[in-house]
Amino acid sequence: MNLSMVAVIARKEFRDVLRDRRTLIFMMLLPIVVMPLLMVGVTRFVTSQAQAKQAKVVRIAADGRTQATVRALRDSWYEHNATRLALLFGSVGLSAGGGVEGLTALLTRVDDVEGAERSAEQNELQPDQAMAAAIKGLQELDEAQKRLLREARDVGGLVGRIEFVDPAELSEEGSLAQGVEIPDELPAALADASLTLAIQRKHIQAALHLPSDALVTLDESPLSVPFGTVVDGASGLDYSAGEYSLLSRTSARSSVPVHVLYDSSIGLSEEAYDRIASFVRGLSAFTLDLRLVQAELPSDFAEPLQLTPANVATTSRKLQAALGGILPYMLLAFCFFGALYPALDVTAGEKERFTLETLLLAPVSRFEIAAGKFVVVFVAAIVAAVLTTTSMVITFTHGILPPEVMASFEVEFQPLALLLTASLVLPVAALYASALLAVGVVARSFKEAQSYTVPLQFIMVLPTLVSMLPDVEAESYLAWIPFVNISVLMKELLKGNYLWSFYGVTLLSTLLLTLLGLGVTSWLFRRESVLLRS
Amino acid sequence: MSDSAVLVEARGLAKTYRGRKGSSTDAVSDLSLTCHAGEVYGLLGPNGAGKTTTLRMLSTVLSPTRGTARLAGFDVVTQATQVRSKLGFLSGNTGLYPRLTPREVLRFFGRLHGMENDAISARIEELGGVFRMTEFLDKRCDALSSGMKQKVNVARTALHDPDILILDEPTVGLDVLASRTIVEFVRDCRSRGKCVIFSTHIMGEVSRLCDRLAIIHLGKVQFDGTLAELRARAGDDLEEAFVTVLEQST
Repeated sequence: MNLSMVAVIARKEFRDVLRDRRTLIFMMLLPIVVMPLLMVGVTRFVTSQAQAKQAKVVRIAADGRTQATVRALRDSWYEHNATRLALLFGSVGLSAGGGVEGLTALLTRVDDVEGAERSAEQNELQPDQAMAAAIKGLQELDEAQKRLLREARDVGGLVGRIEFVDPAELSEEGSLAQGVEIPDELPAALADASLTLAIQRKHIQAALHLPSDALVTLDESPLSVPFGTVVDGASGLDYSAGEYSLLSRTSARSSVPVHVLYDSSIGLSEEAYDRIASFVRGLSAFTLDLRLVQAELPSDFAEPLQLTPANVATTSRKLQAALGGILPYMLLAFCFFGALYPALDVTAGEKERFTLETLLLAPVSRFEIAAGKFVVVFVAAIVAAVLTTTSMVITFTHGILPPEVMASFEVEFQPLALLLTASLVLPVAALYASALLAVGVVARSFKEAQSYTVPLQFIMVLPTLVSMLPDVEAESYLAWIPFVNISVLMKELLKGNYLWSFYGVTLLSTLLLTLLGLGVTSWLFRRESVLLRS
Repeated sequence: MSDSAVLVEARGLAKTYRGRKGSSTDAVSDLSLTCHAGEVYGLLGPNGAGKTTTLRMLSTVLSPTRGTARLAGFDVVTQATQVRSKLGFLSGNTGLYPRLTPREVLRFFGRLHGMENDAISARIEELGGVFRMTEFLDKRCDALSSGMKQKVNVARTALHDPDILILDEPTVGLDVLASRTIVEFVRDCRSRGKCVIFSTHIMGEVSRLCDRLAIIHLGKVQFDGTLAELRARAGDDLEEAFVTVLEQST
């Protein structure tokens, strides 16, 4: 083989291929620009959608008694915590004088402060003096205050973020969608088909029902402040101190069933359920605390066994595991796609343009022609892989991961791990290049070649997805399965696990496969029935 | 003419294409011809006669199923690389790289033929003058007209100054001026002692250029001789003579 002739052919192919827009797009534009933009864009879109969902007021159907009970529970919680809330909001420079009705506005303001804090961390916008003080106040909250803030959002802020609808106002008619059934265990108040219909038609997001004796049941717990004088006009119940006191002694239960009708296949309906669930959880924890105090029991009484996990995985290591899972696939997929267009362009593309025969007439061997073309495709695959990895890491570290996560992220990829990874990518890139050249030279046209590459992707790229499965371990038999072995091993290497015997078998089997691929491609290039197939 | 050196010699060439289910097609069945230095050898035949297959075998792109051929003394099967270094070949299947300029195409093929950079540059300038290509030498090939492309293609075949040129329908689709340039180039090659195998359907070109000609039909040479010999055998009108030979083909 005359290497200078191979170099002449490779140089010409580089020049030619680099003037092809499709190649440039797949080899450079896609990994450098499109992928990062897409990933950041999708992440931001999902985040903004989630934020928009959280900001929406949801409509919940509830009878007058249930509505009054929810308000009463919320008010009771507020009365108990008014002083602590004043201190909490004071620390972020807010006056808590708005009462329970003003709680939603105060929580919105806390959200603003947290937003400003995030912007400041990302160096997007520097806060003014007042905002800086508020951020500092938030940062200095102790654990109890943080829990109170959480409760304030879940319990105190619920009413401001929902709109109650009287079920009588709903006049839905028609039949339920196919496959939808009203569950048997629902209380009569929620069993009305019009409620399910209203949820499906998105007129409401959920329906809520609390039993009429809910407050009484909860009053068996030692709430130091009675539910006051909340009068429910619909039910006619007067929860004045005397009545509640009388009723409370007659209740035999200590738990209140909260029935919620919703449709988890509708995003906003699920959000409505989440809000109610948070409300119930927050209030439940709060009530339990009070009951324990009243019973003079320790605060951990209701938690006989306390799970205390100690996860040795640092945030950085967890991130590495996640990146290690996705990187092999991305790396090898872009390696393949980087090689795809140049390979088809220098084979099937040349057939289509009638330039392959021109080249066959030059005083060089067909092996040299194949080798020159191989060099170009191989380099394109490597360039695409390197560009992809670089842009992926930059995108993750500077565009997608939130700053607080990034703060704990240390790139611990060892040079040896990177070296071994590279030693695996090189033979795979060679294998991809030879397989794609083979497909390209067998095909009559570019279009035909493209259709052949689809099954090739299934065989050569899809198996690398296995590294994204969380439970896949580097079992020794996997080292003999092409592409799966590379993917699994790369994941382990990037986590810092050097599995030498697995590496040896993987490298050997990959090299053998690569040699086979190169042999087949070289043989095809010597066959006139293949080269001149048109 | 027969005193000149034999540059192309084919003996009993045959090419059989194997189809699916064991079927086979003889594109060329038993073809022999001899061409000399300083000679323009015309190759005529109807579509599907086996002309292109014959030329592809002579140029080493296809291997003969049977028979032998030698170009400039080299065997087309066992010494294919040497054959290609002595040969300039042009056909409808030899295109130009559309994303490269004519200068880049010529430079590339010059290097493949082992020419030095300076020699390539000088030759490009020379051929640029011969084919009046100077003004489009640095435009991309996909921006050139058919005539311009064909001039570049002929220049490619002549770049390394080969002893043998095989031109398969070089003037097809060209206007009068472009055709004339190519015809003049062929005459110039003959005067410089080159052997030119010229395949065409245009009888006017045959009568103006060819010293000898072969009519191929049914995969064999049905006539091989001078124009005068063809006229003597089948009549003065060249087209009529051609048809007569085809009708008498076996």
